[in-house]
Amino acid sequence: MIPRRDFLRAGAAASASVLGACAADAVPKGRTPVSLWFSYGGTNREVLESLVRRFNDRQTRDYVQAVYQGDYFEGLAKLRTAIAARAAPVLSHVVGEVVPYLAQAGVLEPLTDYPGIGELDVIPELGQGRTWVGGGARPLVALPFNRSTPIAYLNGERFAQAGLRAPQNWDELRAVAKRLTERKGGGRFGFGCPINWWFWVALVGQAGGAIVAEDGRVSLGDEAGAQALRLWQELAREGSMKPPPGRDYNAWEQCNQDFLSGRAAMIWSSTAFLKYLEANARFEVIAAPLPAGVKRAVPTGGTFWVVLRSAPSAEKAAAVRFLRFMHEPEQVISWSTRTGYIPVTRSAVRMLEARGYYAPRPNDRVALEQLAVAEPWPWSVDLFRIQREIVQPRLESAVIQQRDARAVLTEARALAREPA
Amino acid sequence: MKPSRRLDPYWMLLPTLLLLLVFFVYPLIMLVEHSLFSWDLLTPARYVGLANYRSLWRSGELWQTFTTTLSMSLAVVLGSMAAGLALALLLDRPGRFAAFVRSAVFSAYVVSWVSVGLLFLWLLDADSGIFSWIWRHLAGTRAPHWLGDPALAPWAVAGVTVWKITGYALVIFLSGLQDVPQSILEAAELDGATATKRFSSVTWPLLRPTTLFVATTSLIASFQLFDVVRVMTQGGPVRSTTVFVYAIYEQLFLDLRVGRASAEAVVFFVILLLLTGAQFLLFRSEEGA
Repeated sequence: MIPRRDFLRAGAAASASVLGACAADAVPKGRTPVSLWFSYGGTNREVLESLVRRFNDRQTRDYVQAVYQGDYFEGLAKLRTAIAARAAPVLSHVVGEVVPYLAQAGVLEPLTDYPGIGELDVIPELGQGRTWVGGGARPLVALPFNRSTPIAYLNGERFAQAGLRAPQNWDELRAVAKRLTERKGGGRFGFGCPINWWFWVALVGQAGGAIVAEDGRVSLGDEAGAQALRLWQELAREGSMKPPPGRDYNAWEQCNQDFLSGRAAMIWSSTAFLKYLEANARFEVIAAPLPAGVKRAVPTGGTFWVVLRSAPSAEKAAAVRFLRFMHEPEQVISWSTRTGYIPVTRSAVRMLEARGYYAPRPNDRVALEQLAVAEPWPWSVDLFRIQREIVQPRLESAVIQQRDARAVLTEARALAREPA
Repeated sequence: MKPSRRLDPYWMLLPTLLLLLVFFVYPLIMLVEHSLFSWDLLTPARYVGLANYRSLWRSGELWQTFTTTLSMSLAVVLGSMAAGLALALLLDRPGRFAAFVRSAVFSAYVVSWVSVGLLFLWLLDADSGIFSWIWRHLAGTRAPHWLGDPALAPWAVAGVTVWKITGYALVIFLSGLQDVPQSILEAAELDGATATKRFSSVTWPLLRPTTLFVATTSLIASFQLFDVVRVMTQGGPVRSTTVFVYAIYEQLFLDLRVGRASAEAVVFFVILLLLTGAQFLLFRSEEGA
């Protein structure tokens, strides 16, 4: 690396230290500090901070300092910059799509040999082993925390009035979206969905495709990818689906607001918003699995805990102790029942079932049961680049400008083949 | 004034010169250097020559960003100048009411960009915003997606920017109007010139230097548009509001493509340099005229 880059790094490190010092509370004397950068806002942030406080109060050896860093993508940008500036925290959490890239760059600490990690009873579909194709054969670098699947949220009142049930397949989705769309006055939409890579991947899987073919070629679902896009195009063209404005999580938030205000009778969003939507809706919220195309399929989402390799050994060991604490049933249950994320360990699910938690709360089971049709991500270092730079902008242009779906994906595939 | 010692001015300039070297010249050299590398901050940098420039050009991204920035900037400059001049002509009079309106219009200029963005995000909401409400009551149809339609979003953002910076144009035009000699206007009035004629033949020609100043400073400022785009549209929909500074931010901080972001910044620097040069030449020719 050339010296000028060290100058850049030094500047970034200085800024990161100042920001970190401003934001974090003081570490009590004699305890090992664990700096944790997180990306949850609202209720999720409150829950996480309460769990961190619980950890800090219950033992006197380690002390976790949790610092909010913006949404997933802002947080990730800061994390990558901090890694380059050699000012990274010990612990953070990142979206699944970026884990292969970070692992390849050698910045993640392998966790397999830390005490207690082998005993964690993580639900396989949510852990590294089955989240990625061949993930189990690689050194363990990521542990699940806030894991999710996309689910459908239905406005119970509107569905009851119209005598409709949750759509079971794409044809029913089209029919329900059309039936619940009203064009008078400001108009109400039958369906709302962020034009986002995650939901498109769900549709691709339902159409029988995969982002990366079995031979390792970036196929973007081939014909299934185009079918998925055409479904969105058709719904948007006929006015029964509202593509929310804004990008990334701005669009997700807009979609939630459309649902809460009654402007959209049904939306697709993450199970992560379950508790938020239930608490803020003035109508009954019904959660439902996504409909089937030629089959049922969903991707998993959310983030994984990662320990940064650059941290001092004592702090990394302390971070792993915190992760073990977070995987205890009590914490897993606190987190999942207060947010809507899927409980990530089998023991937590068993405990919830034994307590009869799910019987009066069928919405909470939807994402968990959908794991039966969860499809793994390819372990590809280019996945994040393909998502952010190549596919996401083209999804928007295909749906909003009604560009030919096949042409859009052919262009995207060609770009994905180019070296980064 | 002649310095007592020949070197005194240079010593006095040294602190500023040092600041300029450290914070402007050195980063600029680094920027040019980084534009020749492919670097994601995590893996070692790889020398790629002019590949970053070629890739920006070939993908059409550079041209799209330039045309988006230019068209939005022109809309902002023309809009803010027209509104600023019209308001200046209306408010160039004594009285408390005119003073109140002058302050009210200028107050928008001192409000933070983020606050303005959030305010208009709410006002322009396709369903519950006041603009949509007016549209629905006048046209009786569903209001357009002001910020969700790629054909409308750049003009909506440009409109918000016009609202924000019109106060600046107003103040400069007001000071320009106060420099127009009353005697010439009175002489024209005595000669029977109508208000329109007095404006077109006296006021407007005498306001030319002011207009030029407002135009060039607003153009350069609007080329640097970022905050309002970040808050309102994040460059979308379909990159329709991805202006230069936002594109650089996206490449660097979201995609971590240091080389490509640097190449884009170098091009942006050259464009701003050309604009500044044009401004300089225009002022010189104006002074010579």
